[in-house]
Amino acid sequence: MKVHLVYAHPLPDSFAGAALARVRGALEAAGHTVDVLDLYAEGFDPRLSPEERRIYHDVPANRAPVADYVARLQSADALVLVFPAWNFGPPAILKGWFDRVLLPGVSFDIVDGRIRPALTNITRFAVVTSYGQQGWVVRWVIGNPLRKQLLRAMRWCMNRRVRTLWLPFYNMNTADQARCKRFLARLDRTFRRF
Amino acid sequence: MACPVSALVVFCHPVAESFSAAIRDRVMATLDRAGVNVTLSDLYADGFQPLLGREERLAHLDQGHRPPDLEPQFRALADARLVVFVFPTWWYGPPAMLKGWLDRVLRAGIAFRLPAGANRIEPMLTQVRQIVVVTTYGSPWWLIRFVGDAGRRMIARGMQLLCPGARRPVWLGLYGMDTATDDDRRRFLDRVERRIARIARRLQRAG
Repeated sequence: MKVHLVYAHPLPDSFAGAALARVRGALEAAGHTVDVLDLYAEGFDPRLSPEERRIYHDVPANRAPVADYVARLQSADALVLVFPAWNFGPPAILKGWFDRVLLPGVSFDIVDGRIRPALTNITRFAVVTSYGQQGWVVRWVIGNPLRKQLLRAMRWCMNRRVRTLWLPFYNMNTADQARCKRFLARLDRTFRRF
Repeated sequence: MACPVSALVVFCHPVAESFSAAIRDRVMATLDRAGVNVTLSDLYADGFQPLLGREERLAHLDQGHRPPDLEPQFRALADARLVVFVFPTWWYGPPAMLKGWLDRVLRAGIAFRLPAGANRIEPMLTQVRQIVVVTTYGSPWWLIRFVGDAGRRMIARGMQLLCPGARRPVWLGLYGMDTATDDDRRRFLDRVERRIARIARRLQRAG
């Protein structure tokens, strides 16, 4: 399987960086081809420009400014996102990837006035993220916006039979080495069977 | 009248002639007329840098770290009793540019502190009395409701946690923007004006 792995963290030696290495290693060990998009390292600009906004609904001209990112996403069978949750949402750089790359004509099509999923090449979708807060705060106080945004809205754009994995690491602020290690080991096991 | 109330309006849209810009103008005019002391952060026009980079991440719990380019934001926020966000909802949340403002400006030493060993932050935006969000959605409200309105949860619940002295956030959404008529948009602007004027009066009465 070809896996598009989108990673958003400015520091390679962060916990997210360790998660990325573990996920990538496990996928490669299982024989998958992995295309890592390291948004910070590739200097991705998350700002949708005035011109991009003007041509936003203009399929297929709208994808010209991000054609390479679209091609990488469209050639994949699986999408994996690895990032920390900041303010209970994706870091700006990843939100910018949603805004600029998941365009009309890429994430959905309008056929005979009806909206249809367009990322039907994606049959596996996994999200690996971390929160400073405890799980109950994220779930019951805040209402888990990120999970809803990804597993409801984004998932809808994918193949009808897409299988999803939600792998959150909570309570990062007080996590000790042992708990971090256990989580990384879990990632390893999970992605070897991906 | 008591001492004037200060407000920060954070505006985010790339296109100058957008409907969001019309909302911003109406909000600014309403606050001016009410005698509120307003600061506008126009993120695209001001060339705001939304990326939280290496240095800032390394120092993310260091309360003394104040990235110099954010000083105007910190100053405006420190006085603001009212914070108003005006933006289009894209992908069920604020545009990346505004998400970058939340990521960078709501930092340790400004919006919260994390005492050593604690797992719960202490909010610091104690002067904020009210958060208002004015946003537009391409989708109809029922779809937004079904998907869970991620942007609303991030700001109306997430940022609200940093403002313990604030009332419940006021959320003004224009849904189904893709099929809205001129009349819908006019009515929405009037509704925004009435609501903002009322909030400004209340904050001024409170002194």
